[in-house]
Amino acid sequence: MAKGLVADIQRASLHDGYGIRTTVFLKGCPLNCKWCHNPECISFKPETMYYPEKCIGCGKCDEGCFSGAKVVCGQYMTADEVMSELLLDKPYYKDGGGITISGGEPMAQKQLVKALIALCKNNSIGCAMETSLIYYDADIFKGLDFIMADMKIWDTGIHKEYTGVGNEQIKDNFKKLNTINIPIIARTPVIPGVEQGIDKISEFMQGLENVVQYELLPYHPLGIAKRKALRKEITEFDIPSKEYMLEVGRYAFIR
Amino acid sequence: MLSYADRLKEMRNTKIRHTLEKKRQNGYTDIDDFGTVPITDNYEVEPWYNSSNGSFYGYDGMCENFCRIMDAHEPYVDPMEMLCGRWRDMLVNYRGDVHYLPDWLKKKPKIMELMSSANDQWSKRWDEQRFPYDDLKPLQEKYNIQTGIDSDAHLACDYRIGFELGFGGLLEKIRKYRKINPDKNDFYDAEEKTVLAIVRFIDRHIEKIKTMIPEETRPEIKESLERMLKACENIRLAPPKTFHEACQWTAFFNCASRIYTRDGAGYQMDVLLYPYYEQDIKSGILDDETAKFLIANLLLIDPHYYQISGVDENDRDMTNHLSYLILEAADSIDIACNLTVRVHENCDKDFFDKAVYYLLKNKNGWPRFCNDKALSEGYMRNGVDKRTARERIAVGCNWMCVPGKEFPMNDTVKINIAKVMEVALAEMRGERIRTTERLFELFEKHLKLAIDVTARGINLHLDHQWEVTPELVMNLMMENTIEKGEDISRCAELYTIGVDGAGLAVVADSLGALSARIESEHLLTWDEMYKALDNNFEDERIRLILNSAPKYCHGGTVSDEWAKRLTDCWVKNIKAQSMPKGRTLVPGWFSWARTIEYGSKVGATPNGRRAHEPISHGANPNPHFRTDGAPTAQSNGIASVQCGWGNTAPLQIEFDPNVSIENGGVEIVKKLILGHFEQGGTLININVLDTDKLMEANKDPEKYPDLVVRVTGFTAYFASLSPEFRQLVVDRFLRGI
Repeated sequence: MAKGLVADIQRASLHDGYGIRTTVFLKGCPLNCKWCHNPECISFKPETMYYPEKCIGCGKCDEGCFSGAKVVCGQYMTADEVMSELLLDKPYYKDGGGITISGGEPMAQKQLVKALIALCKNNSIGCAMETSLIYYDADIFKGLDFIMADMKIWDTGIHKEYTGVGNEQIKDNFKKLNTINIPIIARTPVIPGVEQGIDKISEFMQGLENVVQYELLPYHPLGIAKRKALRKEITEFDIPSKEYMLEVGRYAFIR
Repeated sequence: MLSYADRLKEMRNTKIRHTLEKKRQNGYTDIDDFGTVPITDNYEVEPWYNSSNGSFYGYDGMCENFCRIMDAHEPYVDPMEMLCGRWRDMLVNYRGDVHYLPDWLKKKPKIMELMSSANDQWSKRWDEQRFPYDDLKPLQEKYNIQTGIDSDAHLACDYRIGFELGFGGLLEKIRKYRKINPDKNDFYDAEEKTVLAIVRFIDRHIEKIKTMIPEETRPEIKESLERMLKACENIRLAPPKTFHEACQWTAFFNCASRIYTRDGAGYQMDVLLYPYYEQDIKSGILDDETAKFLIANLLLIDPHYYQISGVDENDRDMTNHLSYLILEAADSIDIACNLTVRVHENCDKDFFDKAVYYLLKNKNGWPRFCNDKALSEGYMRNGVDKRTARERIAVGCNWMCVPGKEFPMNDTVKINIAKVMEVALAEMRGERIRTTERLFELFEKHLKLAIDVTARGINLHLDHQWEVTPELVMNLMMENTIEKGEDISRCAELYTIGVDGAGLAVVADSLGALSARIESEHLLTWDEMYKALDNNFEDERIRLILNSAPKYCHGGTVSDEWAKRLTDCWVKNIKAQSMPKGRTLVPGWFSWARTIEYGSKVGATPNGRRAHEPISHGANPNPHFRTDGAPTAQSNGIASVQCGWGNTAPLQIEFDPNVSIENGGVEIVKKLILGHFEQGGTLININVLDTDKLMEANKDPEKYPDLVVRVTGFTAYFASLSPEFRQLVVDRFLRGI
């Protein structure tokens, strides 16, 4: 069975969709958002993360690190291996809960995703996905209970500046996704100082009848420590104030 | 005009004032709040010591001193309240009980004299002159056993007996059976004096209310005091006839039983009080608002363990309108309260929703939830019929009891299995072949010895408790006691004696770490591990190698497997222990709040725990059992180590503070509870705390005197806990365990 690269499996994930969920973070993403809070999920290869504050200075790095100072992120796993972990919380998935395939960009690892969706069906477990919608595959999407997808910036030039890619494909994929009958939760991370065009994104989402909810998620700097650990370039953004979130909050909606 | 809401606010403020005042009087107390009020200035008791041991025992010793303490108690009447009565001091304090001794009492010379000859386990609560057990002590100490010898009050009264007879009826019953059993005069003398002391306690409240009424200027309060007076006069001898009287009767009885031995076992509140509620509503003398106020008042008087909802012997839902009012009442007062909601698939779903809603709304650690099905099916395996099993109610931190019938000593007997493992490890040290299998074999050998000496201690206790600490107050509402002239410790119908194991996660993770790091991965040798334990992990790397091994509750790990094997071993050997006189042992996993004390007796352990650090809490995992701290993983792990004979291995969980009512938290918590119970879990104690508030309160406890946390099965005021205990709660919360 083909293996995929998994960054982490988080159980009792309460903020990635409905109910109690287990989130599988697949490693690798074609986007490179400067504010990404999962920067360890960008590279398609296993990486080592360094947390020098945890180092005990034993000088035996080569024999294995047990202090948490040096952590390898990324493990090649088969769908069955992932599933055995996902099944552990089956007693809690009832009535709306289930698994969320996230990343990174899960659609970059279609084989594993397809296999996981099939296993979820066999085990009567709900399955959702968090995606950038840079890729589109109707067959895969039809197998999901709902999809959480981002539209980060309306202007494609600015989108490219902050994420590394333009957003034409993403807009197009939103429209295509709207034609198959899968509930969509559209989301925008709110990054103060970036011309995101939230009003225009909101208007666009209003026009897509399968978007059941448009959420605005405040930027949080969780990714900075991880970027340091990965020794990646850091761009700092302001955390949006409550007032700012209230101000832009008028563009959010639930249908 | 003062509304009920105004009065409740005042009552809460008084409670906060009392909490701060008690902290000044008592010092830190890592125990239940118990609903006490501060000691009064002129309070003085001259104890009567009837033993050359320097303490007092038996029917006459306990009775005489109980009467002295009761008589010394000033009546407590707060005009804001509708019920009266509180307690301030307890009998066992005067026998040098180091666990409960408040600071104000330590200033008494006689008490200090007692204390100087007592230590944490061998206090003067037990009459060692007459009932020595020096032969048991070496092994009890070797395995760090909490023996249960000298315990009391760990049973549950059948309040139906008291409600039916009243104090007058109890006196008549005592006098009737005294004639039938003329050789039991000592017993009947003590019981009669006990009831009369309670009646005098009520009488002093009546006198106090009478002095307050003429001086009260607020008409609505004056009327309330007049109703209070009438209720007290009606129940001083006669049985309670109204809802108000049943609540007041409970309050007086509970004050007395607390003063006697701090007994905190309540009853199935919605079922027992319902007939009074229904009758008073019909006759128009009660409305729902008043009923709620009375319940809130009763919960304020004393946080006894009450339970609500659940099913009867025919699996029929017992939830009623009063069940809802009890939740609403608890919400209106929102103090430390020990309400347990029994959960069963046949129960009213809306009620369950509402119970979870209040847990999230108030974030005050109540209610907690128990699993009717797993508990009663487990208890029936001891040869008990379904009806009796269903009557068993949640009346303690981790424990259940059949009211009136059972003498379980639950929560008083514990074996520190981390200590047992330490002994096994020491024995294996000199052997040629060292493996985890061999270690487990030795663990089982020593566990058997530990259980055997525990059983001998229990039998000694049961044979002589009546001569040391007879249950004079609780006897009044037990079956067969007054009828036979015997203390309940001698005549209970059921002796299903609870024995809990403590330190499960420490032992499971130790075995897991040894399996993984020495046997599978060859990262360490046995000698290196032993040396590291000897020098308390001078080499931090070795500690981390062991400590980072996959842990119990992670899910599917070698330590999870060890935890299950340990449970099988524990259950098998507890049940295999032969007991005389129809007694049987019932296994559970629980440490109570003694993790610090138990840990202090155990050196470094192979899970990377340093010497004398606290052991793990109850059946809970060790810190960092998963990086995500998933409550579902913890729930699964604990469900997999249930002992299955009717006693609990509680899930003690600190929930993500971001889980709120607004973001679907009720559904999430419900799913967690149901998922745990579906897998056989027995009892869930949940804290949903506000992180910022907890951190600030830890820095400055007096800033939040109303902050309540669930310590184990009981809730306590955070401000009253010792700094060590506060830190333990904070750490547990931050680490998500």
